[in-house]
Amino acid sequence: MPLNRPNPVRVVVLGGGTAGWMSAAALAKLLPGVAEVELVESEDIGIVGVGEATLPHIRGFVERLGIDEASFMKATHATFKLGIDFRDFGHVGERYVHPFGSFGEEVAGVQFHHYWLELERQGLAEPIGHYSLAVAAALANRFRPPTDDTALSSTYGYAYQFDATLFGPFMREHGLTLGVTRTEGRVVEVRRDPESGDVTALVLADGRIVAGDLFIDCSGFRSLLLGDALGEPWEDWQHWLPCDRAAAMPCTHVSQEIDPFTRATAMPGGWRWRIPLQHRIGNGYVFSSQFLSEDEACAAIRGAAEGEVLADPRVLRFRAGRRRQSWNRNVLAVGLASGFLEPLESTSIYLAQMAITYLIELFPLGGAIDPRDRDEFNRLVDMEYDRVRDFLILHFHATRRDDSEFWNHVRTMQVPDTLADKLELWRETGRIEKYSDGLFYDASWIAVYIGQGFLPRRHDARAALPDPRQVRRALDRLEEEIRREVAAMPGHRDYLVAESERLAPAP
Amino acid sequence: MSVAREQLRRIAIAGDGPLGVLAAIALKRALPTTDIVIIGTPPDPAALAERSATALPFTSRLHDKLGVPEEELVKRCGASHRLVTRYLGWGGAEHEGLASYGAEIDPKLNTGFARHWGVGPRNASAATPPGSLAEVLAAAGRYAPPQPDGSLTLPGVEAALRWNIPAYRDLLVGKAQQLGLRHVSGAIAAVEPDGSGGAASVSVAGGLRIPADLFIDCSGPGAAMLSQLPGFRSTDYSARLPATAIVETRPRAPMLALEDRIVLAAAGWRWDLAGRDGAMAWLGIAAGVDPEKAAAGLGLEPVSMVRVTPGRAAEPWLGNVVALGDAAARLEPLGGFALDLSHRQLDLLLDVLPGRPLSPLERAEFNRRAGLMADRAGDVLGAHYAAPMARAAFGERALSDELALTLDQHVRRGRVPFFEETPLLTRETGSLLDALGFAVGEGALARAEGADDGEARAGAFAARARAALGAVPPYREWMERLVRG
Repeated sequence: MPLNRPNPVRVVVLGGGTAGWMSAAALAKLLPGVAEVELVESEDIGIVGVGEATLPHIRGFVERLGIDEASFMKATHATFKLGIDFRDFGHVGERYVHPFGSFGEEVAGVQFHHYWLELERQGLAEPIGHYSLAVAAALANRFRPPTDDTALSSTYGYAYQFDATLFGPFMREHGLTLGVTRTEGRVVEVRRDPESGDVTALVLADGRIVAGDLFIDCSGFRSLLLGDALGEPWEDWQHWLPCDRAAAMPCTHVSQEIDPFTRATAMPGGWRWRIPLQHRIGNGYVFSSQFLSEDEACAAIRGAAEGEVLADPRVLRFRAGRRRQSWNRNVLAVGLASGFLEPLESTSIYLAQMAITYLIELFPLGGAIDPRDRDEFNRLVDMEYDRVRDFLILHFHATRRDDSEFWNHVRTMQVPDTLADKLELWRETGRIEKYSDGLFYDASWIAVYIGQGFLPRRHDARAALPDPRQVRRALDRLEEEIRREVAAMPGHRDYLVAESERLAPAP
Repeated sequence: MSVAREQLRRIAIAGDGPLGVLAAIALKRALPTTDIVIIGTPPDPAALAERSATALPFTSRLHDKLGVPEEELVKRCGASHRLVTRYLGWGGAEHEGLASYGAEIDPKLNTGFARHWGVGPRNASAATPPGSLAEVLAAAGRYAPPQPDGSLTLPGVEAALRWNIPAYRDLLVGKAQQLGLRHVSGAIAAVEPDGSGGAASVSVAGGLRIPADLFIDCSGPGAAMLSQLPGFRSTDYSARLPATAIVETRPRAPMLALEDRIVLAAAGWRWDLAGRDGAMAWLGIAAGVDPEKAAAGLGLEPVSMVRVTPGRAAEPWLGNVVALGDAAARLEPLGGFALDLSHRQLDLLLDVLPGRPLSPLERAEFNRRAGLMADRAGDVLGAHYAAPMARAAFGERALSDELALTLDQHVRRGRVPFFEETPLLTRETGSLLDALGFAVGEGALARAEGADDGEARAGAFAARARAALGAVPPYREWMERLVRG
């Protein structure tokens, strides 16, 4: 235990939404004595409640914060998620699942998909999803947590689908028990040091002054501190990701089953989500206002909802892009105040968690911010954003759809060079550019490429070495093994009901 | 519809040192229908990587994949395991520290928190392997490799092998013969261009001309094939790494140990490797010091000497010629990092192994990754020369941006940033830097009240250490049992 601990850094979090309470609770939990956290929020300002579907990383977050999974699921009406079911992206009528898991196994140093491509050429392949346990379980509506050995049953991960408007408040309650000070009030002025330019305090409408050493801007799209006060420039990505609106609308369940996956269906002006929670289904149409009006989108989502509509469509407005730097002076932004990427791959909460994680790794010791730590934070955040961005663009660009202006635009647009290089390598050789940092790896790229019918021209020469009938028999055995494994899993709803401490009371 | 590319008809490999032969074995196993020809070019007197009789734990995994199991190396090549390297005198005259391998090293090191806490690959599980024992085992002289049947597991502990170089080469040559690989001898006399930046054929002294679809240049730092191509360019590392004179000395009495040592003195470094066929020592002599005298002063008998001109091929794959080992990057043998690099580049080639037609995109991807691999291996060596006492002995060197960031973060925050294609795990890097005298700093997590409670962690670690010591036999006992076999 260090004896000469400096005074705690006074951290002020502005904004009481998902990102704000995630940040406040994580700092209070992991940096007691190092950080003193005060969160300023106003009941007058609603929260966006971004991201109803999540990625497996959130499990580590919940666990490390000392939160019991069952109580977390109960509070947020959460269900389990094994992946995303993409429909109509490559072409209308096509479908694939991007799983939290991989496909088949590498053989003799050659990745599975090369063998699959070879069988496909010979007309001997089943859809590649047949060789993924996560895909098979998802489509069979079954769920069981993976094992932690090296068996087939360990080859997938899972995340949650939850009510994002409940997640923020749940984190708030948890944050308050961890010692976060909550201050209710609306910020009317941001005070800055005339010499250094650092933010020194927030002035609230009732005249109170909240002073701090480090400010975390979680004010959402408004980006009150980083964007407004410090004028951090915005890097706009709308030309690559033109969707800038979402019409969201909940409805009731229509069947007894609960899908253990999120569904994303491509639409003429964008795409729509369908996220099953414990007692309702979240729906939303993410669209580009260049190509579709808000009224049209609202009508479309009403028409698409399967169950009884529980509320009128609510339209959210956003813009793809990010602040040039997420951390400038003594202000850093987490969540929408730092940037936005549309929810197609459920990355919003991940991006907030990622920023919080790097902040904890690079947290200013004793309050003085070392510019080297700030640069490192920005380097890491940029890398994560850029890689997610490219992966999202892929979903729109790798398409044969030509049935609307929107799809014609995204299909033919110029993509970032970083993505163009990856596409070219895949097209010519069937290979995935390799990196170990960031979010989406080989299996994810393969799922989308193959799922959207974007097959390469050539694959690895070694895949043609074995007798194709033998390869097919090996794949049949794998498929059979997967089928047995899935058959032994309980249904998703049955699993939830059997562990009823995870269930919220019916509304 | 995607089609498989045509198989390569013939691959010619220049160089029949251990790396060339290993590459030939790997390629034959990957492409059984391809004709593989090994060209035994004269040994390059300036060879560097292959002077090292050891690499890192990765090499054992590669060997295993290529049908060269560890057990065979132990039985036939005098191989033994290293768990730790002791660094003496790098941080100061009296300073010493241990560098070990494996995911779990020092419970105090908080490096890699981000990767352990839900940032990273989407498809990975959130589980993290805790705990490290290499140092405990080395100190007790106990070790046995984990058993595939699960009867012995040592999570988080990894070992590197060291071996007898001539016996190792003989073993590989025997395997190459079993695979029916062709071998011709002679220097590369000419490289006939193919008109598109590569080679149509290579002529060997004596007149034999060998055409091939793909050429692998394992001929040593002279890069007998790659350097003949019009696109050949070299990237110089001399601003970052010194032109150390490497002295190989005559092996001494056999020695079985789980620890090796690297000592720094005013004249340079001395690297001592234990070995069942004789203990080995290499010297790295600073400019301005007479290598002969330095060796004599240590009671060592020099057998060869070479001066490093550190650098790498800007693009190790040009046209249809792929350079591996010293032909791709010239790094000194210290610590086995250069040989590890050679082996990882070979593994990379197997990963993106081309067919016909060769794709320039595949080549670009290989060059991108191979370049990063060499740069990061250079950084690991650069960290040695950035150590306080090494700067005095070898002079001040510039740091790459990545190394500067790594050293700064380690010292101020106890954090090791991740870079693609780095040879060491983040914890291994932290351990090495500590051993080199870069005291590990304390990040915010370590300073938090009660967070990662030191006592609880130490207690859990001690329990794991006791269990491991109970499960693992004395290393000598294991070795004798295996060798008697």
